[in-house]
Amino acid sequence: MKSYKKLILATAIALTPILSFGQYCNYFHENFCEPAENEMYKPNGQSKSALFGKGQTSELSVIVYKGQDYRISLCMDENLGSGLEFKVYESKKVKVEKVYEKKEMEDVYAKCESCGGTGTMDGDNCWDCNGSGQVATGDQKEVITKETKMVEERQKILLYDNTQDNMATELEFTCETTQRLIFEISVPDGGGSGSSKGISKGKGKLMKSSDMGCIGILIEHMTTPITGFYGTGF
Amino acid sequence: MKKQSKIAVALMIGLPMAMLTSCGGEDAPIENVDEQQVEEVVEEVKNESYYQIPSPDEMFGFIKESGLKYNKEALNPIQNADAYTDPRQQALNFGIYSADLAYTAAFEEYQESIKYFGSIQKLADQIGLSSAFDKSLVERIQNNLDNADSLVAITNTSYFSVVDYLEQNEQGDKLGLVASAGWLETVYIVANTAKYSKDKAAVERLADQKLTMENLILYLEKYADNADVSQVLAWFKELEAVYAQLGEESTGSGISLKKKEGGKMVLGGGSKIKITEAQFNAIKDKVTEIRNNIVKTEA
Repeated sequence: MKSYKKLILATAIALTPILSFGQYCNYFHENFCEPAENEMYKPNGQSKSALFGKGQTSELSVIVYKGQDYRISLCMDENLGSGLEFKVYESKKVKVEKVYEKKEMEDVYAKCESCGGTGTMDGDNCWDCNGSGQVATGDQKEVITKETKMVEERQKILLYDNTQDNMATELEFTCETTQRLIFEISVPDGGGSGSSKGISKGKGKLMKSSDMGCIGILIEHMTTPITGFYGTGF
Repeated sequence: MKKQSKIAVALMIGLPMAMLTSCGGEDAPIENVDEQQVEEVVEEVKNESYYQIPSPDEMFGFIKESGLKYNKEALNPIQNADAYTDPRQQALNFGIYSADLAYTAAFEEYQESIKYFGSIQKLADQIGLSSAFDKSLVERIQNNLDNADSLVAITNTSYFSVVDYLEQNEQGDKLGLVASAGWLETVYIVANTAKYSKDKAAVERLADQKLTMENLILYLEKYADNADVSQVLAWFKELEAVYAQLGEESTGSGISLKKKEGGKMVLGGGSKIKITEAQFNAIKDKVTEIRNNIVKTEA
């Protein structure tokens, strides 16, 4: 019996990498997110599924092109609760002026009146103190220098928030200018069963398996249909 | 799905871990893995940022509609596939051929599609991606050679399944090589087919790749510890420097995503990327140079 158990154990251990948790979410968006009824929409390669825990927020950076319509559909495992927060931001690099302060400690030199020397430097410090050049007093002072540099920063501008739209899980829009967008997806903490026992640990969070599940984001696109009487010849 | 999936999730994490914790002693009660134990299992989750790269079909669908003609000369000849022997070359050229396949499918060059699919299949075997290209997929392609929409859909399915497979198996470094080469091939084909003065829409789309480039670089940087990715990243940083020369022009209003007439949501405003003929040629030259590094075969 014992060797039988060992065999099961060995098999289970060998299978562990194959049955990794990440793979559980494989194709989740394809299988569970509601596709468009309009058959003109095609699946977009930027769609994604991922494992989430309650209280987790993640971002998906996508490119949307001018002249195309996009449809976003979200889906999630039930054990994550019933609401999914979804925000859309524009993300762009901007050049900003930044002032950098540098603090340094410098020696304090004797003043002319205290050493009977001659000459000035930095106000009234002596070049020649009793014929022996500059003499440090043994004290130090803090000197702050400022440097201005142009740096590139990434800015986020909020464009859409589904908490202002009845927690909608679908969004459809026409894109008039190509943009790099950030889709921010958050799973509210403490919803659902109310038995969350997540333990904060650094940047990550230790979660019970029942507080975790898959989230899918299905992106579809099509060429923006031309409407109106274009090209009718009248 | 829901209840069953919950149990499946719990078992996937719980069972192996519970079994591992049972390794300590001879008399470990393996059979007593109950629901209580599963519930106590913990997993670390972190907030993540994912950088997505549009797949080749999106670009090719667009340029076909914009009127750009099919250019067979721009493709990497299938005969080269046998010459790629090192894993980095194989992964990169898998990306190149995937884009070529998407291109032939978008332009309904059915016989070419089947040939390119063969090259991809060969490379997939060599880099451990054969599970994404099973026999049924080949049969579906052969059965749909006269149906453009189905062919595009099936070739997309094969590409997406590779992306999914690599993501879910935490082979982001390999995916970085495949996706970056696939993207580069789309840009190479467009740059070497479009005429600056004539093909306005295609040239604009090429300029817009400046934004895709940002995602690509950020994605590759995540895996920069891998020597192969690091090499490719260095090439793409050179291309990024060329793209950085492109200016931006305000459309006159701030960016917004709001409902317009008819209740349709519209993403508009913000800025638009501008490209001059000299910049177009500079991008074309740099892309060609990098692409040549990837597709070259030892004489």
